[in-house]
Amino acid sequence: MKRPLRPGFQRVLRRELRQIAARPALAFLLGPYPLLLFVLLATVFWAGLPTSLPVAVVDLDRSQISRQITRMVDDTPELTVTAQLPTLAAAKQSLLAGKVYGILLIPEHAERDVLSGTAPEIVTFYNNQMLTVGGIVARATGTAIGTFSVGLSVQMRQARGQSTEDALIGVTPIPIQQSPLFNPALDYTQFLLATVMPTVLHIFICVSAVLCIARDRHSLGGMARLVRLGGTPIRALAGKLVPYGIAGMITLFCADAIIFGTFEAPFLGSLGLHLVYSVLFVATCLSLGALLALVAGDTVAALGLTGVLTAPAFGFAGISFPRFAMNGFSQAWGAMSPLTPYLHLRTDQVVRGADVAVSLPALAWLAALFFLYFGLALWLLARQAQGTGALVPQPAKVTA
Amino acid sequence: MMALIREILAALRALFADAAARSTMIVSILIYAALYPQPYIAEVVRDVPVAVVDLDGSTASRELTRRIDAAESADVAATPTDLPKAQALFFAREVSGIVIVPPHFERDLLNGQAAPIAAYGDAGYFLLYGAMMGAVTSAARSLGAEIQYARLTATGIDPGLAQVLVAPVTITPVALFNPQGGYASYVIPAAFVLILQQTLLMGIGILHAGRKPASGLAMIAAPLAYILLYSLWTLATQMILPVLYGYPRIGVWWHLYAVAIPFLMAVTAMGFALSQLVPQREGVVVLLVVLGLPLFFLSGISWPIESMPAPLHLMAQLVPSTSAMSAFVQLDQMGAGLAAVTDKVLVLLGLATGYTLIALAINWLRTRRLQAASVPK
Repeated sequence: MKRPLRPGFQRVLRRELRQIAARPALAFLLGPYPLLLFVLLATVFWAGLPTSLPVAVVDLDRSQISRQITRMVDDTPELTVTAQLPTLAAAKQSLLAGKVYGILLIPEHAERDVLSGTAPEIVTFYNNQMLTVGGIVARATGTAIGTFSVGLSVQMRQARGQSTEDALIGVTPIPIQQSPLFNPALDYTQFLLATVMPTVLHIFICVSAVLCIARDRHSLGGMARLVRLGGTPIRALAGKLVPYGIAGMITLFCADAIIFGTFEAPFLGSLGLHLVYSVLFVATCLSLGALLALVAGDTVAALGLTGVLTAPAFGFAGISFPRFAMNGFSQAWGAMSPLTPYLHLRTDQVVRGADVAVSLPALAWLAALFFLYFGLALWLLARQAQGTGALVPQPAKVTA
Repeated sequence: MMALIREILAALRALFADAAARSTMIVSILIYAALYPQPYIAEVVRDVPVAVVDLDGSTASRELTRRIDAAESADVAATPTDLPKAQALFFAREVSGIVIVPPHFERDLLNGQAAPIAAYGDAGYFLLYGAMMGAVTSAARSLGAEIQYARLTATGIDPGLAQVLVAPVTITPVALFNPQGGYASYVIPAAFVLILQQTLLMGIGILHAGRKPASGLAMIAAPLAYILLYSLWTLATQMILPVLYGYPRIGVWWHLYAVAIPFLMAVTAMGFALSQLVPQREGVVVLLVVLGLPLFFLSGISWPIESMPAPLHLMAQLVPSTSAMSAFVQLDQMGAGLAAVTDKVLVLLGLATGYTLIALAINWLRTRRLQAASVPK
């Protein structure tokens, strides 16, 4: 017979691995389930850019010019004219029913007005309740009609005897060289997919730590036994969490593989730093999960608490809505989530290729969060292990 | 009837007696209501900090800078003397964009030559990029139009014709609904539909997963109790929350319930089906807690369904929130009539029926297995 291992990191680690192996549902949670959600998200954002968004045209002029405008709108990659409707009311019904995202209204006598030298007013309506889509429709229709307008102006100037070149300069005296420094295609995979996948994963990592710690808390004197097996609280906690850390790292790199491999997004920064903050991010999420499991009364309460804290974290991280526009509470709340510094660092390094020095403050903050959560978890573990012999887990006192 | 009411009250009492169910189905919704809208309370991004590198130092370049600064969406936070200094500010995240006005900007402009400027931003942050580029574009366009007009009238063209030459057609963009383009107004109403679904599914899982299959009146009473409770939550999140946070709501209340009741029926039935498939209450919570964000993006609220692969969108219809999120938004925020959401109500009713049948079938199978196990041969 094999001698039992001496108390220590390895003993706790092996015990944890045995327990994972005995629980297929838990094993599913550590690898296949997050990967399944990654594939789902990657499929959602597969197109990268919204194209062929349906818009309706209400053409009250039915002239050559109105047909030309309609064609130019239809020709933009972002839009497709799916309906020619007789009245604005009909078009609005179509928009309310979610069939189109925008309406192009060409007034009566548009052509006559252009020819007689009074500018007709072309009105574009866009569904701003769906902010992202509405914005794209507004921008694309504006650009299409703007291009038409410029073309018309050039023609009129040429008719007055200007050279083509002079006419072109005359129309746009201050051209703007718009350069998105990064993400030049305005691609949503870099903007959303690359940030949403780690966000989903951070919930997974916290949850796996919660389940891992809560399993020992369930049993009588569980925490005391855990610390005994580990020798010291730090070895016990590390031994328990390491398998989940490895699983978290592997799935995080799978997310990276999807972004850089499948979607061929460029990586511009320091690979070493990317590795460092990725490890630190996973470790901080694990520590936070462990801490929540030690704070909450039972497993379900701990999971609930984790859900309330991690599910809204994306909103606080400042990707979709910038942090500087948030109130003080939201800035402070967001700063306490490991996701905020991670996504900050990720944007710095992956998207912007920033100098390592630029990223150091955020890295220090992520490290501080790690030490805070890991330290608190250790402290609670040690206290609960030393506590009274009757370590019956209290029924949930902590709300949510 | 009295017996049913007694059973409903018993189901509600059981819910309130279970700490985990209470915190999921009541406390967490209150916390979400307080917490979730916080980041977006400002609604719109104002004064995005921009650095202008003015290499011309002329009246025209200063006027352009002033116009960018005057735009509501942007704020000239720095005027560094060269590009590297501006880039340093950008990487340190003190500014979100850089505008460069090259030397001889004014001279070229006055000589009737093209006077290009350059604008850089981080398109990784869509809202910031859009706000900054919007400010720069309209500043350049308005200044350009004035200069064109002045140039044309100087050559003796009459002012009316000059106007037309500058802009042969007028483009008037009109935002329908959410006129200020508020981010909270966009995200919050839809998000709370999802929050209702997720907490209801979890709550049912907590109360019923791993328990022995129900029978008799309790089979109807418990679902009715949860639908009742969540009808009140619908009132709170779809009608009171908009008032508290001041985002628009123009729907008719009974239209809202014409969607809410089928939605809650579908979710409740789905919850019972799930809670019989997953043997542990922790399992149901874990399964669902990670799904929030993916389900949000599947709903078509932020990412258009037209840009999703069609099979994926079809699959997403199996989750009630997919139809319900857009139906609620159409009724409440866009003021559509019931006719506009009939298809979605039908989908929800179909889901309610389907999941009820599935839940009943599993219940029947489990009951039979249980009986077979308990009856000795």
